[in-house]
Amino acid sequence: MIDTFGIYLQSLGHVVGSPAHLAILFGSVLLGIIFGALPGLTSTLGVALLTAVTYGMDAATAMVCLLSIYVGGTYGGSYSSILINIPGTAASAATALDGYPLALKGQAGRTIGLATTSSAIGTIISMLFLVTVSPIILHFALQFTSFEFFLLAFFGILISGTLTTPDLVIKGWISGFLGLFLSMVGRDRLQFYPRFTFGIPELDGGIEVVPVLIGAFGIPQIIEVLKNRVQVGEIQKLQRILPEFGTILRNVPKIIRSSLIGVGVGCVPGIGEDIAAWVSYGAAKNTSKNPENFGKGEPTAVLSTEVANNACVGGAIIPLLNLGIPGSPPAAMLLGALMLHGVTPGPMITFEHPTFIIECAAILLLASMAMWIVGITLAKQVVKVLRIPAPLFMPIVGLLCIIGSYALGLDITNLYLMIPVGIVCYFLTEMGYPIAPLVIGVILGPMADENLRRALMVTQGSFWPILTRPVALSLVLIIAWLVLVQFPSVKAFKERWAANVLGRFRSSRHGG
Amino acid sequence: MKKLLVFCLVVLVAATGVYAAGKAFPKRDITNVVVWAAGGGTDVCNRIVSAEMAKILGVNINVINKTGGVGGSVGMAYAFSQPADGYTLAGVSESCVTAGVQGGWDQRMEVWDFFIVGGSPDLISVTPDTPYKSLKDLVEAAKKAPGTIKAGASASGSIHHLNLLAFEKGAGIKLNYIPYPGSAPAQNAAMTGEVSLVITSLAEQQQLIRGGKLRPLAMLIPNDFEVADVGKIPSAFTDYPGLKQYLPISQAIGFAVPAKTPKEVKTVLEGAFKKAMASEAMQKWGKENYYLLSGKTGAEAQKEFNHLESLFAWTLWDLGAAKVDPATLKIPKPAK
Repeated sequence: MIDTFGIYLQSLGHVVGSPAHLAILFGSVLLGIIFGALPGLTSTLGVALLTAVTYGMDAATAMVCLLSIYVGGTYGGSYSSILINIPGTAASAATALDGYPLALKGQAGRTIGLATTSSAIGTIISMLFLVTVSPIILHFALQFTSFEFFLLAFFGILISGTLTTPDLVIKGWISGFLGLFLSMVGRDRLQFYPRFTFGIPELDGGIEVVPVLIGAFGIPQIIEVLKNRVQVGEIQKLQRILPEFGTILRNVPKIIRSSLIGVGVGCVPGIGEDIAAWVSYGAAKNTSKNPENFGKGEPTAVLSTEVANNACVGGAIIPLLNLGIPGSPPAAMLLGALMLHGVTPGPMITFEHPTFIIECAAILLLASMAMWIVGITLAKQVVKVLRIPAPLFMPIVGLLCIIGSYALGLDITNLYLMIPVGIVCYFLTEMGYPIAPLVIGVILGPMADENLRRALMVTQGSFWPILTRPVALSLVLIIAWLVLVQFPSVKAFKERWAANVLGRFRSSRHGG
Repeated sequence: MKKLLVFCLVVLVAATGVYAAGKAFPKRDITNVVVWAAGGGTDVCNRIVSAEMAKILGVNINVINKTGGVGGSVGMAYAFSQPADGYTLAGVSESCVTAGVQGGWDQRMEVWDFFIVGGSPDLISVTPDTPYKSLKDLVEAAKKAPGTIKAGASASGSIHHLNLLAFEKGAGIKLNYIPYPGSAPAQNAAMTGEVSLVITSLAEQQQLIRGGKLRPLAMLIPNDFEVADVGKIPSAFTDYPGLKQYLPISQAIGFAVPAKTPKEVKTVLEGAFKKAMASEAMQKWGKENYYLLSGKTGAEAQKEFNHLESLFAWTLWDLGAAKVDPATLKIPKPAK
């Protein structure tokens, strides 16, 4: 144990002690934040692009570079979510729900400050999980087979639908299923059968997530701002960026819960930061004393989502390093980078490279600290973006949206896709349908579809394992509860029951 | 003064010109366009062999990645559009032979000359708590209950799936094939017990085998293979000689130049490639990464790629996964 701690300190010193390492650390974090903040560029792409650049470096230096980009990119998405209501990455879509209303209230600076500190705390807590309880978490991760993956994806779509609707929950679900439908377009991944492609070869590969993300969030927002002449910048108050120590201290239970969710979701192979943020948002809303504030500018909502999506980083690295299975899309890119540097992750890593996991943990700590410093420094400056008059600023955002959709794969089809999706989404927003579930549907749709069908191939058509496998059963029960609770009769019953039980509990305590 | 300067310049230009003309290929840096992403098997392999060849040729070999399309078609098309002078190599793998039937490439693989570094051999492993202690146990069980033992491998038409199909044919059994999006998810499914057996390459499995998470049964190559901490993994061919007819189907990672490249240039590249393959660094890398080094070039390499092309193209077509009929590309059916 003392040895481990010694290696940890040594690794910290190794990075801090060398100006080159420090420059790489801060440079990569900044680059990550930029990648995260710009719609269309994601931390996955950032890690992928930088992997080849790191070829000349040694493995530890490469990890400094790539983990910093990953941490920075996951956090950077919150900038555009809070400032312009267009999430830079899918991971920060949940942050926009309350972050943007807070900016409208003139608290953009304070909110970014809160997001920065929350992200840093989330990363650090997940780092602690990485070094201490990896084996337990791995055991949990190995409980997930195709049925569980399907249920988890389905749950992700449902919960984002439940959480984002201003009036009727069913509208959120409709939006989610629209996304699910969009994700079915293209050749299916198990048997290559073309679905809804209408013989158009460009649709064969399916619908890309990034143009949908940009179109669905970007275009309605641009139209909205230009139509209503919203000028968020004029109302921004001068305020401290550093969050009050008290705010953090008061929310310790929320922080711990959100980190647990982040690490838990992160370590499940294949799903990442976006689900972590939604689940955490849902948990925060359901346990809050005043859930009616959610969606109108609730600081604890921003805190919960940002802690969770960054805690996901450490969570995703746990199965990556210990089993060679990436826990999230950017972690899949990291796997490639590790192989490039001759480190094959897996159960033998602690024998072949005894100090590597500890080094990664040290790098995560430094990356989150660097991210915090850069974030707090940037926060005051980026808020000024809001002072640019909307008629000038929004066309620039529009241009960025177009470049962002095209840059990925340099494919013109993505532009043809982005613009109609955006226009349809504008009308959906006007009719009170939330957009986030649609995007989540497109992201998780392939996972839900592929895993359900694979699960049925494995069981040769039987649904029984859903009820006999413990993790699957709990997911089914959660989903059933999520749906049933929307029916007025069930809702009334639940409230009566809660009042009854809690009332009796309280009176018994008073009586005793 | 000015005249002198001009004279000096002329002499300098002439001298470098003469020097350059005197020195044969390569006169300048070479670019290796890897068609798969950085960090993948093809990329790492090409970076290692390029670095070794650079030492021998005395120029730099810059490795870049140009991904996209189907079967690496974007990178291949780019490399093929460059002058065929040996200064542009295409870093490719066996999966590139599918570009044609997937509609990304309208020529056969004969337009290239290949330099094959090698690949990691495929093997069959099972979940440790299954009753199959040897390949015989597995085959016997599969014969008793055809189509029930669940077998994981990466997507339909991938190299591991082809190995699985060949194994089924050679051993005369039928398994329940479950496709996964890649080797890592397939191996994960074998660890969770969702599938009982998995076929991927040794490089991808070695950590899990050595960590006791998977139990290796047999190599799908003619020879046994020694793995540290585990010992000898027997060849499946020993017990089932019938496999010889269908296997091995090996990864073929390496690089290629357009076949119309001048012969002298190809000879220089071939010489450097052979030397690089024999180098200590390359041998050590192969051993550490569980690769079988090949070193095939010229007609021999061409033959291997033709075989892979027939095999992949027609399997994909039979699975309904190909867009272009291999017959229209004049790809012959695989020889039985």
